[in-house]
Amino acid sequence: MTNAQLEIQIILSLVAVACALPGVFLVLRKMALISDAISHSILPGIVLGFFITQDLASPLLIVMATLTGVLTVVLVEYIQKTGLVKEDTAIGLVFPSMFSIGVILIARNAGDVHLDVDAVLLGEVAFAPFDRWMYNGIDMGPKSLWMIGTILTVSISLLILFFKELKVATFDAGLAASLGFTPIGIHYGLMTVSSVTTVGAFDAIGAILVVAFMIVPAASIYLLTNNLKKMLVYSALLGVFASIVGYWIAHFLDASIAGTIATVLGLLFFMVYLFAPDKGYISQWYKIKQQKTEVAMLVFMLHIANHEEEQERNVNHLQEHINWTSQLARKVLRLANQNNMIVIKNDVVSLTPKGAEFTNKAVSYISDNKNAELEGIKQNFFLFRG
Amino acid sequence: MINEYLNLLLKDYTLQIITLGTAVLGAVCGMLGSFAVLRKQSLLGDAISHASLPGIAIVFLVLGVKSNNGLLLGALASGLVSAVFIKGIISKTHLKADTALGIVLSTFFGFGMLLLTYIQKLPNANQSGLEKYLFGQAATLLASDVWLMTAIAGISLLIVLLFWKEFKMVLFDPDYTKTLGFNVKFIDTLITSFIVIAIVMGLQTVGVVLMSAMLLAPAAAARQWTNSLAKMVMLAGLFGATSGVVGTAISASANNLSTGPVIVLIATLFVVFSFVFSPIRGLLFKQIKLWKNRNDLKLMKTLMFMYNLVKDHEDISHPHKIQLLNNFQGYTKKSLKRLQAEDLILLNRSDWSLTEKGFNTAKNLYTQEL
Amino acid sequence: MEQKIAIAIDDLTVAYNYKPVLWDIDLQIPEGVLMAIVGPNGAGKSTLLKAILDIIKPLAGSVTVYGKPYKKQRDLVAYVPQKGSVDWDFPTTALDVVMMGTYGSLGWIKRPGQTQKKQALEALEKVGMLPFQNRQISQLSGGQQQRIFLARALVQNASIYFMDEPFQGVDATTEKAIIQILKELRKAGKTVIVVHHDLQTVPEYFDWVTFLNVKKIATGPVAQIFNDDNLTKTYGINYKTSITEGKL
Repeated sequence: MTNAQLEIQIILSLVAVACALPGVFLVLRKMALISDAISHSILPGIVLGFFITQDLASPLLIVMATLTGVLTVVLVEYIQKTGLVKEDTAIGLVFPSMFSIGVILIARNAGDVHLDVDAVLLGEVAFAPFDRWMYNGIDMGPKSLWMIGTILTVSISLLILFFKELKVATFDAGLAASLGFTPIGIHYGLMTVSSVTTVGAFDAIGAILVVAFMIVPAASIYLLTNNLKKMLVYSALLGVFASIVGYWIAHFLDASIAGTIATVLGLLFFMVYLFAPDKGYISQWYKIKQQKTEVAMLVFMLHIANHEEEQERNVNHLQEHINWTSQLARKVLRLANQNNMIVIKNDVVSLTPKGAEFTNKAVSYISDNKNAELEGIKQNFFLFRG
Repeated sequence: MINEYLNLLLKDYTLQIITLGTAVLGAVCGMLGSFAVLRKQSLLGDAISHASLPGIAIVFLVLGVKSNNGLLLGALASGLVSAVFIKGIISKTHLKADTALGIVLSTFFGFGMLLLTYIQKLPNANQSGLEKYLFGQAATLLASDVWLMTAIAGISLLIVLLFWKEFKMVLFDPDYTKTLGFNVKFIDTLITSFIVIAIVMGLQTVGVVLMSAMLLAPAAAARQWTNSLAKMVMLAGLFGATSGVVGTAISASANNLSTGPVIVLIATLFVVFSFVFSPIRGLLFKQIKLWKNRNDLKLMKTLMFMYNLVKDHEDISHPHKIQLLNNFQGYTKKSLKRLQAEDLILLNRSDWSLTEKGFNTAKNLYTQEL
Repeated sequence: MEQKIAIAIDDLTVAYNYKPVLWDIDLQIPEGVLMAIVGPNGAGKSTLLKAILDIIKPLAGSVTVYGKPYKKQRDLVAYVPQKGSVDWDFPTTALDVVMMGTYGSLGWIKRPGQTQKKQALEALEKVGMLPFQNRQISQLSGGQQQRIFLARALVQNASIYFMDEPFQGVDATTEKAIIQILKELRKAGKTVIVVHHDLQTVPEYFDWVTFLNVKKIATGPVAQIFNDDNLTKTYGINYKTSITEGKL
């Protein structure tokens, strides 16, 4: 591994962490697409800044582009407030137009600007090690490493300083206001950090793929835990992991580094989506299937408990009156029987004492919305699950 | 300069074809975009258009040729797959719609970029022209492309006309539609499919990055000018077509300008203009109405004050001195003149008196306040 | 009772994500009643309507309308959804919304014509909204919007009317006008089923009532079953005192 390769991987990892942190809050606050809007809209700010400074890592450019990002958020919120269009339409109107301005600015000045459309979409992290910061003739390392490092340091400090406020404002805006934190202050603070990070990441991974770095790690980890601290740490780690794996795959394929990392992130999300132990697709599918039979059984037992008359409790009635397919009816009968909840005499079903007790408890828990207790008695009563 | 362009347009067959193409595209996008906006699915189009990129690249990789229709079929397939993913994420996890859109949009697009850059570096791959799908290059439209677009536009227009009643009802109140016995899922799928087709149709001209704006902007602008769905759809089509034609003209007369951004900016101008100047919903009009209301309120306060002075007199039209009003701060010469202009009071040099209309108006206001 | 049964619900259970919200409901609604469905928030009142109307699929059970499955009897049923369930900023007029009531009888693709327009105008007149026919629907007050929804159902000329909280967010005049129309409907032999939340007005407005809280608590004539006992069973302890101390 050459020195340049190492530097690229460090830069990418820092970018991944810097994006993942605000990303967690964006996902939790249901504002994921604001990152899409910001990442597109900062383009004119970056281009204008670049005209002036000729340096993608210059502080002036970062300030200008960040202001453009915050301006976008303000504009979107203003349009939403006018009520002229629905909320998501407001986002969809603002960022393509800002992005268009940026692209046209680049195209009109293609001759004298070292900034092209590819750089806009993909960044140029491969060149980052060549743009170095020389201080008094000493090589201090790549400029973008310093830039993203600074941004990351600032956002981690802010995160630690305002962790409690962020947490409260994210999970309960009303409570935050009553405790004296201004949710608006937190909101615009978060928007500013998101904008700065996007600007900083832009150089390395391009405008659109910032969205992948912000949203995908946070969303994947959100399927695994609800704990905010864990979400922050693991999202950052997932981002770093994807960056390093993606870098080497891109190296091997000779393809876009940012595109490859985004693809790796997508695959990782897909794995989590399928296999997450509690909220994943497979576990949900299994649970719903199990629940379906168990709830059906409960419905059936409640029906038996409610009806004294033998005709209503006949085995055949299951299918005819309750309107079930014979397959489901048979499954329900078998499950209830296996668990010693019912006895069948002359095709007439009756509850066993155990069945009656279970039905009673389950129904009262369901009416009172006590899901945990419901799962608890299922554990106690069931020999076999659905 | 405009004349020059028009002359060129009259002579140049290629330019005519391209202009026709962008006009048709704009019209279809505006029309179908109205449905997307009213369904509150504005950003679904953004996700689907970004997500169509890997489809284009894969078809190119597999077939190795640049058959336009083949590439667009690839885009269509990958757009539909992305829609399935979005739906899967929303319905099977606790992640919200915005997150699902963000995930699919960015990772599909990233995968597309991976493939695109991989293709670019393949030896002897004639990859030139794939980048046009990023920001659109109307200049690459061929006559056959435009005829295909026109045919699709014709079909979607026919479908919209045929199912107009059903579309309108599903957009407004899907539950109610279901109770009337209509198959809501079918109508829904029909609308979504045509929106996806419109997106794919526009990729070559506007590009994956900005395509969603082509759907939203004309519709959002049109909504401001009318309260009728039919008029909104027609206007959106008109705005879209105009954006397409003007955008093409500008990008054709300038060097090195992708069509997509220019068309999107023109469409955005329509939006800004409509937001501000629309007579029924526009911000300017609303502001003026606000000022007028404030003024009216002042006048009515003056009138009430006069009424309170007059109401105990037997003759309501008995004149009073203007000085009497001095301890009421709200009146000015101008406001008295306006009250007279509305026949609410009579002015006679330094005297004023209430007219019968003025008296009754004030009396009504009084009882309302009680 | 020799009354004909308009709606028969048999062992109906509905679950959202396999969490039951309605439990084994058995309910028979006689023809010609004006019935309130009452119960606390989250009792499943709206869900019951939606399950009857096949908008949501029940987990178990069946619904028949005059002895036949609902799907075959759609023409006999009209539905007034909750006012808040639609976007009132939708670009359309009051008349247009009421016209939708005729779409069911028109079927696919066929366009509404003069006959349908005449029906819609008549319905608008009945609810006192004729002067507002060309208004954009967002420019109507909450009460007027509710009247438009009622008119849309009236156009269907059904035998059974389902209404979801028609008095929510409407002015007193509209409330009186609506209840007037409902009483006229009953006089004409129609069956009207209303999800209702204002217990005070139940005896005044309705002649039949169903208490619902996930399970069916009681159903029958207001005079017989609208009492403290059932209210307590439905709403919990607190209601007993408040109702007996009230005017009821």
